[in-house]
Amino acid sequence: MTSITLAVPSKGRLEEMTRDWFAQRGLTITRPGGSRSYLGAIDGVPDVTVRFYPASEIARELMRGNIDLGVTGRDLIHETSESGPAAVDFAHDLGFGHADVVVAVPEAWIDVTHMHDLADVASDFRSRHGRWMRIATKYITITRQHFARAGIAEYRIVESLGATEAAPASGVADIVVDITSTGSTLAANGLRVLDDGVMLKSEANLIVSKVADWSQERRATLDALLARLGNRAWS
Amino acid sequence: MTNAAYRRSQLETLVEAQGGCRATPPLLLAAAPYFDLAGEEFGRRLLLTTDALGNEYCLRPDFTLPIAEDYIAEGTREPAAFSYLGPIFRQRENGPAEFDQAGIELLAQPDGDIALDQVLTFARAVLSLYGVTPNVRLGGVGLFEALLQQADMPDAWRSRIRHRFGHTAAMDRLLTRLEKSPEQPRSEQPSRDELIEDVTARMVSAGLSLSEGRTPAEIADRYLEQQALDAAHIPPATLKLLRDYLAIKGDALSALRQIEELGEKHKLFLGAPIRTIRRHLDGLGEARVSFDASFSPRLDYYTGIVFEMRGQGDTVLASGGQYDRLLERLGAKAPIAASGCALWVDRLEAEWPK
Repeated sequence: MTSITLAVPSKGRLEEMTRDWFAQRGLTITRPGGSRSYLGAIDGVPDVTVRFYPASEIARELMRGNIDLGVTGRDLIHETSESGPAAVDFAHDLGFGHADVVVAVPEAWIDVTHMHDLADVASDFRSRHGRWMRIATKYITITRQHFARAGIAEYRIVESLGATEAAPASGVADIVVDITSTGSTLAANGLRVLDDGVMLKSEANLIVSKVADWSQERRATLDALLARLGNRAWS
Repeated sequence: MTNAAYRRSQLETLVEAQGGCRATPPLLLAAAPYFDLAGEEFGRRLLLTTDALGNEYCLRPDFTLPIAEDYIAEGTREPAAFSYLGPIFRQRENGPAEFDQAGIELLAQPDGDIALDQVLTFARAVLSLYGVTPNVRLGGVGLFEALLQQADMPDAWRSRIRHRFGHTAAMDRLLTRLEKSPEQPRSEQPSRDELIEDVTARMVSAGLSLSEGRTPAEIADRYLEQQALDAAHIPPATLKLLRDYLAIKGDALSALRQIEELGEKHKLFLGAPIRTIRRHLDGLGEARVSFDASFSPRLDYYTGIVFEMRGQGDTVLASGGQYDRLLERLGAKAPIAASGCALWVDRLEAEWPK
């Protein structure tokens, strides 16, 4: 078996930009069944099978080695598992999908500008309010890692699946960890990113699984593909 | 007969012989108390499951918490001793998530020193069943708290420094910040009332509740305190004391001597906590004992003395100590002394010479 699997985000802007990026490098990704189909191909490259997956599933499947390479956000690799970054190689920054995972507090918290302020607030939050400081986020793994590094243990995560920036106003949480590209949504919701509150700079990336089964033949197929992608002059 | 099954039955006997109650908490426990007690840091190690209503449960990740909760629920304040041996479950990167743990919990004992000795003796006895002469690492939570209480600094800094004890990187960052702390010209501060008004206006416009979480007064007060702290420097001599103290580690006797010298130099009364640590050294016999001034679990319910025992492979085989603030954290109405330890049975078995 020499063919390898490339996973591409299955919908929206991310799919479009990914296909554009490949096209600019002379590789046309086709999706014969239309947007409802999960199987595709690259014109003229028969030994690469294309699969369309949701971006978060691409991250997980890369870590499990079920797909060989794929396009997804760096944030999703870090979020899916702490060991995620160790299981993959980031082969190419694709130059789109830029966004930062940040810690933001209500603008009214004028006394909190840095993570170490947050550590102080968290440490006596429970004795003042009878509960832990609550952080709304969908980035649970990243939050835990980053807060552990900052020495903050006294908080609870409230998992948020949408509109995280509204959590403080709706009383669900005190602060948020959210993804933002310009910060405008956060600002519109009265939230301010801490001076040292950028936890992760993310963008779309072409990522190779380290744990997939890399026989010599499959490695050769991969190398040939990467060589074509690395060389912008190729056409 | 020296096979694994024999050692296991010896261990059973030793656990049974602890003269207390053999504790067998359920395998499935409510997850919330663990999150409440130990936060997300420990929470990520739990094996979680959910019932039909969305309530979260976890597979028993340790014995201490359910034992302490049961004791509180009983409502007695009588001295009690519990021992245990059985599986616990923790997430880890690879491999199975099930481990056997043995240990004891001594609650409301009249003499915390004697209780700790009992704990250390039990841990040593289990280790010797597996042929292990351990490297013991001691940490002094009580000692550090005594030093911090007496060191010359503005009061508000004490809790901030205490909070970082046991997290070397966070402590280092704080001390570095304090060492640099530039002389900022004090600008005219707005009054407390003005600040409260300002913060209230911001909260109202962002749709935040003024009472559910941090209140305007709390934010204004901390803001002013922070401004005052930036102006109220910790004397360089105190910062040096903290640096010097936290760097002390090594053979227990010489480490304690260094601490005594440091204490004398800075005119601190550390005699009582140092004597207490010395007394326990006698009971540790031929084990190699080191003292590490910066060593403490990250949970603030630990008090007094904490310890770790390691074997050949440098993995932690036993850990424990005194945690007099634990039962209050779990809802006890008054302080209840507690000490105990947990041993990793699978790692012990791996220490047995092949």
